[in-house]
Amino acid sequence: MAHAAQVGLQDATSPIMEELITFHDHALMIIFLICFLVLYALFLTLTTKLTNTNISDAQEMETVWTILPAIILVLITLPSLRILYMTDEVNDPSLTIKSIGHQWYWTYEYTDYGGLIFNSYMLPPLFLEPGDLRLLDVDNRVVLPIEAPIRMMITSQDVLHSWAVPTLGLKTDAIPGRLNQTTFTATRPGVYYGQCSEICGANHSFMPIVLELIPLKIFEMGPVFTL
Amino acid sequence: MAAPPEPGEPEERKLLGFLDVENTPCARHSILYGSLGSVVAGFGHFLFTSRIRRSCDVGVGGFILVTLGCWFHCRYNYAKQRIQERIAREEIKKKILYEGTHLDPERKHNGSSSN
Repeated sequence: MAHAAQVGLQDATSPIMEELITFHDHALMIIFLICFLVLYALFLTLTTKLTNTNISDAQEMETVWTILPAIILVLITLPSLRILYMTDEVNDPSLTIKSIGHQWYWTYEYTDYGGLIFNSYMLPPLFLEPGDLRLLDVDNRVVLPIEAPIRMMITSQDVLHSWAVPTLGLKTDAIPGRLNQTTFTATRPGVYYGQCSEICGANHSFMPIVLELIPLKIFEMGPVFTL
Repeated sequence: MAAPPEPGEPEERKLLGFLDVENTPCARHSILYGSLGSVVAGFGHFLFTSRIRRSCDVGVGGFILVTLGCWFHCRYNYAKQRIQERIAREEIKKKILYEGTHLDPERKHNGSSSN
């Protein structure tokens, strides 16, 4: 989860998120160099003694400031498109979970190997145990195995919601009447948090998502296979 | 990148308020080499031409080019290293799983070489 006043991205828990962090670093370095150049140009403009009101053309400069941004855009676009197509790959998921957004809770359905369906409500502050996170912890977490490709089918029963888990690099809109799909493979166990990311009413900020990622051997012993 | 800095870990240091050079791989290395390149290029140009303004422009251009060059080179090597680490991790896991069984790659390799 994010720590207080965090601005940067959370640590990656999936290969896609690792790629996104790499791309973010790449784009940020390019942005930094552009900002540096612009600051220098601004400094020159403010300190020049040259005053010429009859400048009519500057072909070389115009050529440079056309070609250079095009090159910069290509440098940013190529890795971006690579990751975009990578996120759309569907690599034979081991498990499919349905996530249905409601006002203001999530319903999860594990229907591959039986019929496990449950709701996930935010824990009200009065019901928090010591160590629980306010506005983030839920009564029933989504328990999933690590190192297995998982498919999430996301929809909504009423208004628009969005199922987001930043550490996995996931954000998928829950649209009523439409089934959106996202896939991921978690690389390390732990408890990971996300929040609804599409305005959906009064309690939009109070319908968090909590994933509990556990080793496959332990997952196999759980209610998904034994119910 | 996510957790607040622990004691002993390098603090966040953000250039222009957003580029975290301490925690971004290759950033500090690229900026330092870029600064060195900028000084060498700018000062060298000044020594040859005695033009201050133009030398500053050369210095800034040098900084951008050297930083970009070091950045791409370092990130390429970093990506290669990560791939190698991932392959090594997978192979170690497989070795632990299959050691002593008929799927052990070492056994297959030794068997074929003795034949």
